[in-house]
Amino acid sequence: MKRGGLPRMIATRLLQLPLILLAIYTITFMLIWIIPGNPLEKPEGRRPPAEIVDAMQARYNLDDPVVFYGDYLSGVSGLDWVLGDREGPVIDFGPSLRHENWTVNEILAAQLPVSILLGLSAVSLACLIGIGAGVLGAVRPGSLLDLGSLLLALVGISLPAFVIGTLLLVIFAVHLGWFPVGGWGEPGHIVLPALALSLPFAAYIARLTRSGMLEELQSDHVRTARAKGMPEYTVVLKHALKNALLPVLSYLGPATAAAMTGSFVVEKVFAVPGVGTHFVDAVLGKDITLILAVVLVYSAMLVLLNLCVDVLYRWIDPRIETAGSMA
Amino acid sequence: MDGVMLRLLLPALLLLSTILVVARCDDHGDRSDLVIVGGGEVFTLDPQRMSYLRDMRMGAALYEGLVRLDLDNGGFKPAAARKWDVSSDGLTWVFHLRPESMWSDGSPVTAHDFAWSWLRLLAPDTAADYSNLFFMIKGSRAFWDWRQEQLDEACAGAEGIDGPALWTKAEERFRDTVGIEVLDDYTLRLELEHPVPWLLDLLAFTPASPVHRPTVEGWPREEVRTGVGWHQLEPPPWSSRRFVDFNAKSGRLQQDHRWARPGRLVGNGPYILDAWRYKRDMRLKRSPTWRDPDGVQNNSITTLAMEDPNTAVLAYESGSVDWINGVNVDYRADLVEMARSGKRNDVHIIPAFATDFFSFNCRPELPGGDLNPFADALVRRAFARSVDRSVIVDNVTRLHEPAIATLIPPGSIPGYVSPDGLQHDPDQARADLSEAGWIDRNGDGTLESEDGTSFPVISLLYTTNTPRYKRIALALREQWERVLGVEVELVGRDTKFYKNDLREGDFMIARGSWYGDFGDPTTFLELCRSTDGNNDRGFVDERVDRILDAAAMERDPQARMSMLSELERYLFEEQVPMIPICQIVDIHMYDPESIRGITHHPRQVQSLWNIQRTDRQEAMAQVTSP
Repeated sequence: MKRGGLPRMIATRLLQLPLILLAIYTITFMLIWIIPGNPLEKPEGRRPPAEIVDAMQARYNLDDPVVFYGDYLSGVSGLDWVLGDREGPVIDFGPSLRHENWTVNEILAAQLPVSILLGLSAVSLACLIGIGAGVLGAVRPGSLLDLGSLLLALVGISLPAFVIGTLLLVIFAVHLGWFPVGGWGEPGHIVLPALALSLPFAAYIARLTRSGMLEELQSDHVRTARAKGMPEYTVVLKHALKNALLPVLSYLGPATAAAMTGSFVVEKVFAVPGVGTHFVDAVLGKDITLILAVVLVYSAMLVLLNLCVDVLYRWIDPRIETAGSMA
Repeated sequence: MDGVMLRLLLPALLLLSTILVVARCDDHGDRSDLVIVGGGEVFTLDPQRMSYLRDMRMGAALYEGLVRLDLDNGGFKPAAARKWDVSSDGLTWVFHLRPESMWSDGSPVTAHDFAWSWLRLLAPDTAADYSNLFFMIKGSRAFWDWRQEQLDEACAGAEGIDGPALWTKAEERFRDTVGIEVLDDYTLRLELEHPVPWLLDLLAFTPASPVHRPTVEGWPREEVRTGVGWHQLEPPPWSSRRFVDFNAKSGRLQQDHRWARPGRLVGNGPYILDAWRYKRDMRLKRSPTWRDPDGVQNNSITTLAMEDPNTAVLAYESGSVDWINGVNVDYRADLVEMARSGKRNDVHIIPAFATDFFSFNCRPELPGGDLNPFADALVRRAFARSVDRSVIVDNVTRLHEPAIATLIPPGSIPGYVSPDGLQHDPDQARADLSEAGWIDRNGDGTLESEDGTSFPVISLLYTTNTPRYKRIALALREQWERVLGVEVELVGRDTKFYKNDLREGDFMIARGSWYGDFGDPTTFLELCRSTDGNNDRGFVDERVDRILDAAAMERDPQARMSMLSELERYLFEEQVPMIPICQIVDIHMYDPESIRGITHHPRQVQSLWNIQRTDRQEAMAQVTSP
């Protein structure tokens, strides 16, 4: 019964996905339609005469929300591709309303990998820094090293990304010249933004590791291990760390999602061409097709990532499966 | 090391190394001769659809219109047209094209290209922002309306819509009724509804540039023959044109803009599009078919889409950017101070053909029926006279913009004499307000009208996307409260909401700005026409409309200019629909020692091909000479 639970859970969650996305699409669509503004209008400067504005609106079905809703849905869901109304990609997010030379598909294809790459590197860095600092702190609680790592963690959590980012740029890019200031395309371009993005996560991981380790180091099995005369590093790394890392692992799921989706300040400061900044721009400029696409893709990603974390959990710690199926 | 630690670290390390490898593959290419940061991503490379300055700057490098602005000496230079003749009544213009001009695919640039591109510009199907600027071409306005009606009728009709047939009729109608005529392959005749003194200015405007029809429509490659103009070929059937089709419901011609891509885009300008990555960078390189190769001073130009102004300045400081076109950092006033005191020679302050102003709501009453004191010109004058502009430009914005009391920046249009406008005069301001009937009648420190109504609290609407307008609004509040004894409330709104409020007339005083499109006073003054689409103020004055109409008909240029000058005096000394604050300035950063050829033309037009990096030139010379 319990063994059959896992595939079944995955299947249910996957079947729910389209329904969740449809609900998200509908709600987002309504919200976008309510906010004032017109994607075809220039934020600054002149407004073309009414007849030109009307012609523009008609060009993109912006004069009729019902038509727009249906047209876009059949493009996104692949329905009109199935019916053979259209060639090209199965899932078609349409043209960007503000950047008409591009389709939303092309924009996402270019930017999503950048955001994912940046997010993953940030989380890996956060693990390296956070776990390291947490372990060192827990081994000698109250020492200078511990205080230092606590202080760093505090700074990492409380300083906003644009301050950290600008600081890193001024020191490492302008003064020392070790890394380029902004952009994307060389390995050097990824270091500073990944570092800036990783610090808050690293800080959190450090605190989780430290408190977990402190608890573990007091526990009976660690005392037993020490009593058996095991070398200290084996005690720390093998007996204590293994258990202390469980809360970190559970934090990694949401952290990865947050790093991939929430990096917009960092992307802006380091001129990284990821999805984050442009999502904000799209909302401000009311680029309807792009907003809908990003919301849909991110929602799908979040649902799938959560599913992955749940699956991993059950696999790592069977006790959770029991708890999960009882709830 | 222990197994656990290894197992933990190994995935992280593996991931990091994959990332580095993947990032490495995302090739960046060599550094261009010139790297520019210029205010964000280009919106479109379709010249007819352009409306942003940065788009037009790239457009001017990729395409060439009939004429260009002469950035050094003023006036105009021949471009795609080598010369032109004007009839004595100013209504007929004949342009003679250069036979040597070529598209970047090697085919000749002909008069047919211009006629076809202007059909795009003037058809509602394209929905070009600037269509109406060109409605002075004979029959073009009527053509626009006719096409709209044709489509509406077809939609209302019972039988299905035959988009291609309708469009073919529209093309014929355009040929027969609109004053654009191809006399031969290299001669083009333009007929106008009325004389347009600024016609050359409009033709130099990027939306009037030609586009290459086979490229824009996506003709199959085998249909296009090298060296042959498309007008000599039979157009392929609609179904095989990749980037155009017809909307099944409306019959409208629909255009897919994916032709504007590296490798596809065919232009007739000094550069071709080498690379374009969305919101990353755009790279132009020297066109192999450009008619004047010696006139191009650099081989490649990259513009970076850096949205964060701080990062742009840091990139400039680190040397990876040569020129910031529009510095927008919070500390730019400090940069300006440094430039003025001689501490920096790479910060340049360039006055633009643009004005910052505050609009009065001139409608008889506010939405909801509230009393609108600004319906009275006397009250508007009182508020305008209370403004001390020098305080604003010297102490508030600290950019020392030219403080101006007229809408058109004085001295920006040759042959036009600006009136004085209303200067700072607190005593007269108070007198104006009393004359309007607003006096402190019961001694409570607030103003009342004759029937006892108190002067309403004035709401001052500004946009919050930059701190600039909040600071100016705070200063204005202080000045009005001090001089006039009125109460002012600040309303800061995001641009979208602000635009909405403007359109609905839901404000009392609101910030505004205007960039002139062509070198004629009407590009500013038409804002005050009662029917103008950008008349946010709801300002209606028959006399203004009459003078504007009369000026359009006036044939003597000098008389026309003085009519407009008198109109501006009437507007900004008597009616005051808005309070001009200052001319807008652009801040640029580039090293004048190593970058040559950037112009300070107020229209913010740049000839990118004239810009050279002297250090690069020297380096190149050293490589070539032993």
